Amino acid sequence: MTPVVSGRAHPRGTPLVLDADVVVVGSGASGAVVACELAEAGHRVVVLEEGPFVPGLDHGAMRVSESLRHVWRGAGLTVAYGLGDTPHINMTMGRVVGGSSVITGGVCFRVPGAVLDVWQKQRGLTELSERSLEACYASVERAVHVETVPEHMRSRSTQLFAEGAARRGLEIKPIRRNTEGCNGCGRCNFGCPHVAKLSVDLTYLPRAAAKGARIYADCLADQVLMKGERAVGVAGHLLNGKGGGPGDAFVVHAPLVVLAAGAAFTPLLLRRSGITGVSGQVGKNVTVHPGFRMIARFDEEVHGWAGSMQAAYTDALEHDRITLVGLFIPPAIMAATMPGVGPSLLRRAGQVKHLAVFGGIIHDEGGGRVWPGLGREPIVTYRMAREDRALIPRVIREMGEVFFAAGAREVFAPVLGAPGMSADAFRAFPFERVHARDIECSSQHPLGSCRMGKTREHSVVDPYGQVWDTRGLYVADGSIVPTSLGVNPQLAIMTLATRVAWNLRDRVLGS
Amino acid sequence: MSTSESELVSPRALVSGGRAARPTLAGPFDVKEREVAPLSESTVRVARAVAEAMFASEEGPPPADRLDWVTTELRGFLGHSPDASRVFRLCLFLVTTLGPLLSLRIGFASRPLEERTRLLERVEKSPLSTALLGLKAVLCMLYFEHPDAARSIGAPVGDEGCKVQA
Repeated sequence: MTPVVSGRAHPRGTPLVLDADVVVVGSGASGAVVACELAEAGHRVVVLEEGPFVPGLDHGAMRVSESLRHVWRGAGLTVAYGLGDTPHINMTMGRVVGGSSVITGGVCFRVPGAVLDVWQKQRGLTELSERSLEACYASVERAVHVETVPEHMRSRSTQLFAEGAARRGLEIKPIRRNTEGCNGCGRCNFGCPHVAKLSVDLTYLPRAAAKGARIYADCLADQVLMKGERAVGVAGHLLNGKGGGPGDAFVVHAPLVVLAAGAAFTPLLLRRSGITGVSGQVGKNVTVHPGFRMIARFDEEVHGWAGSMQAAYTDALEHDRITLVGLFIPPAIMAATMPGVGPSLLRRAGQVKHLAVFGGIIHDEGGGRVWPGLGREPIVTYRMAREDRALIPRVIREMGEVFFAAGAREVFAPVLGAPGMSADAFRAFPFERVHARDIECSSQHPLGSCRMGKTREHSVVDPYGQVWDTRGLYVADGSIVPTSLGVNPQLAIMTLATRVAWNLRDRVLGS
Repeated sequence: MSTSESELVSPRALVSGGRAARPTLAGPFDVKEREVAPLSESTVRVARAVAEAMFASEEGPPPADRLDWVTTELRGFLGHSPDASRVFRLCLFLVTTLGPLLSLRIGFASRPLEERTRLLERVEKSPLSTALLGLKAVLCMLYFEHPDAARSIGAPVGDEGCKVQA
């Protein structure tokens, strides 16, 4: 097995030049899948990752704040700027070997049937049916060990939400996750300390490395090298400069380039490479699943951190484009979301063991856009559709009512500066009139910035991920997802990446 | 896996204990030793003044060792993430420079503790609340990672919070 090489360890003053059959930019959920599938088919693969390498078990050697600063992009303080009547959205992304798969809760949903219907009937993507994707799903689910979270692994926080949901007639269903032997420590978002969440750095990438794939951490890809309309490699910089900044140049010569840098970065790479396409859609149509949390205080000690971080969900409100999904927030960060400072903050922080949390996401219409920033980071903006904006009070009210039905004393709604509210205060609170800027909103699911489609006039890539009007250039990450999914996208991304990889293996490289 | 391959695998690579043994990637774990970009003393001083007010109890300021912990950790946190550092410093400027203007005051760090706490309360209810949330998120996370601070609010330390104890 080839060990991961760090670009920081590369001797300064010596450019790195590599040759490969395939170069994959990004080592996350999609890049790892493509790298593995093609390496196992006998091709010489190079994987480039901007972030560092953290060995699986060493995530447990880091506190939450250490994980944030080393493993999350921008230490978790990245924002999609809300335009118009839209909240600013805290957008979380991984920046590490394994990408965001290292920091997800491990939730695995197949693409909902209603979404596939839209893809087939409205977008013309008739190839993407449940049946045609079955083999890809099966391959991924086997590789990352997708299993149903048993009820006994639910935290008390999730149990309380489930009790409240049942009283309101909302069916709670168990979540499937890519785990094996989960201890229920509630800190999946910071790298599983027990290597029980089978992120791609523990599954696909070791398989790829075992077949000779070379994985380079701390390497920043700047652009795709083009020769006419054909991709011929990737150029960038090793992060061996001052303070871990760009240092020596590197070039990977390869006749096949697969971009898997995520929905925020892949469109930038295309633009920097002069590829904008006739559709003008590069960087547009970003969907994010705007997410909201609800915290509730109970008389009993909840110890909500003890249990599977995400164990249950309800799609009973899907007809309103709302999905409620279990989650937990580390106590120290939860304290930050409590209103007040000084003595009042400490009083509320002292109640963390009595707090339960649940989350809700909106199956959004889109409205996000990726722009080039001044430095190497993109600027992401998001203008919420009016119909989506109208759903925010609905999500908040529903989650609050579920917790009150379970016996909560008060809830803390995702409204900046709002006090803890009793049931009466909550029902009287004018959520519909809260200014968008005062709403706490987060997203873990940016998708769609290089969407897949049937025609070059309306999309960036074809149904197999090939960038229109180029040869040898493919996109395999969440940016190709044609529309919002309404559910956590990890499995869908890996499945579409498998489909891209198998097409490359069987029809492109195979020939 | 051949002998030569197994030599390249991390010594802790084969993980069992209720799970299938599987190879993991090998490579250095060096992120904690990486160079820290310096943070200006004035930023640290003002951030400490905010933390002191944010975590003051009715009895007075928090223990000095916890503030020392916060400032040390803040240097590492921001020093390892230039993007987060920019966001944090912007929030700090908005809260401690523009925030006092809400009370027709100037300056923050030099004000008495109780006045600083009142100022932050006022900022929380103002259009600058998003900036305060940014500061609060970072400072709370660091402050309550101190084992004594974590235990003081009943939060688990390390693996104490696992449902299944190894």
